[in-house]
Amino acid sequence: MKTSTALDRKLQERLLTAARPDGDRLMLGDAVLLAALDGSRALTAGERAALQASPLTVRRLRQLALERRAAEGMVVHPQWQGSTGMLRAADAGVLHELVTDDRCWTLHFVGSDCNWRVILQLAGDAPFAARLMQDQPLLRVLDGAGQVVLQGRLDSDGECEGAWPFVADPARHFQQAGAAFSVEPIAP
Amino acid sequence: VFVWHYFDESASNIEEVGMRLPGTRYQEHGWEQVRKLLGQCSLQAFARCDPAGLLEAGAAHEGLALYVDLVGEALHAASRSARAQASGNSYGDSVLELAFTLLYELQARPGDWSAFCAALSAEERKLGPFWRKPGGDALLRKKVNDMYALLRDKVDADNYQAACGRPCSANRMYAYRMLDTAYGEIARLFQSWREHAAQVGAILGRALDAEPIEARQMKSIGLCRAEWVLRWSESLERFTGSAGPLHTRSKRFASLQDSPDKIGAMLREIGDYEELSANRDQDWLQDGGDAGAWLDDYWRVLGESLEAATPGPDQVLEALQDQLDDHSPPSLDMQVQDSPAAVVIAERVSLPPRFVQMAQLAEDRASWSARMMAGDSLPVRLAVYLKLLGPFDDSYPRDWLDPASGELPTMQQLAALDDVSLPTLRKRRDAAIARLLGAQRNDGELR
Repeated sequence: MKTSTALDRKLQERLLTAARPDGDRLMLGDAVLLAALDGSRALTAGERAALQASPLTVRRLRQLALERRAAEGMVVHPQWQGSTGMLRAADAGVLHELVTDDRCWTLHFVGSDCNWRVILQLAGDAPFAARLMQDQPLLRVLDGAGQVVLQGRLDSDGECEGAWPFVADPARHFQQAGAAFSVEPIAP
Repeated sequence: VFVWHYFDESASNIEEVGMRLPGTRYQEHGWEQVRKLLGQCSLQAFARCDPAGLLEAGAAHEGLALYVDLVGEALHAASRSARAQASGNSYGDSVLELAFTLLYELQARPGDWSAFCAALSAEERKLGPFWRKPGGDALLRKKVNDMYALLRDKVDADNYQAACGRPCSANRMYAYRMLDTAYGEIARLFQSWREHAAQVGAILGRALDAEPIEARQMKSIGLCRAEWVLRWSESLERFTGSAGPLHTRSKRFASLQDSPDKIGAMLREIGDYEELSANRDQDWLQDGGDAGAWLDDYWRVLGESLEAATPGPDQVLEALQDQLDDHSPPSLDMQVQDSPAAVVIAERVSLPPRFVQMAQLAEDRASWSARMMAGDSLPVRLAVYLKLLGPFDDSYPRDWLDPASGELPTMQQLAALDDVSLPTLRKRRDAAIARLLGAQRNDGELR
């Protein structure tokens, strides 16, 4: 494995795409380039040579590769509209955590008596995790009665913490407030 | 009144919104200013280096390198002017940025430079060294204009092909623009149909007795009909005295004259893209960030093909000669120069005394580019970066920059640092670039 610095990459990119040989034109069609990019059909030796000899075709490959990466980004990080969860029977007694049905969010409750704190935690393997960490939308946790439990943005650990806003402790409160909760983004 | 042969210049008196197609950057309002800026800076360059010298240089390559350096300096000097800072297109490129990009495109296209030199020589044979005569500047500027007018269409044709994958040529780009201008003219006539009833009638192919409903319906170029363009061009001489673009003797657009279908498709394409891009102003690939990520895809595609190429047959759009160059990587030894002479020279060209040493220490020696150019001197390596990436780039270590300018040293400074002449430095720089290009063809080297 050899080192490749940011400077190297810029230089390589320029070297690959900056030449303007006379008569250069698109040597490979989009279908051939896309099949090579998605790995379904490797280039033939002749096609490979054609690509390497044609900066314009390399520029077309660049465009397709970037479009493909952008599209992949959209698929891997779908728009997240919100998640919901329920208080289970087993959660009776002292409540330490609640998990949404999609298992993407956990609400942690720490403290005791009149001094509870609530922490919202995003699962690292949530399909929309990268997107949320990047976009940093304002998030809100509601109880089953629609009251705000927590509001804020995720920190760099994917967590958001706040004081428990109700008088009743978490277990009792959720029992009284519909035994349900939701996490949702607040539209900017 | 249009003189279609030069409609680039004369079109500026009509409403110039400009045309956008996938990837194009030089078809919008700012082009006139880009052209003027390049013309102005070219004249400054020719004032410092007589065109006769460039023509005599014989080796066209040398002349081009010198011209590009001089115009680049003039552009830098003009960079704060209102013209340079004006907006050049709807992608946010300034006139200065577009001028620089076009200059660098010229640098990569020696054929265009040779054509320019040939045009100058032809005039010189008729008129002698006309640029030294009173008013000679105007002819010189016109030759420069002609060169850049063609170049911008070549560049945009390439940009278009890279952006959408459909073939395009400079001539086709020119035809798109002709149709866009024609549409602008027809729209203007439709708007004031009362004053131009006869001409609008000729375009529509019927006599007018009331406001033509077409005038209200043609809300965009995509709704402009090919036969209107044809009739407009055909009747233009009758109404204005000069022939329409599709009906000149030059036959430039002869292939379109009998093809309303082709004209219609081109008009619709401009219209469709206009609509699309109006909603999405950022379709130009952005620099920085992940912009280099495609390189990984490129090397992967080559690697997978090398490992297990599809047996064939080739789906190459046309047969191609294989010209893969082999190369041997240079030695990795690099001596840090800090000789007393280097200190003296650095001071003489107004750089910090230990510039060479500090700049070498700041290099990442394990990097691909440093290893590939290990056999070259530091000034040559910096000259390579200067040529390929420009005087300033985020990826340059601070110790490479001249504290006075905040940029890489100029070619003059680098030549002095290396204790060689400017042409020698250029030669060594270009040789190093050729070597990098050769190395890059050897795929595995870059991983």
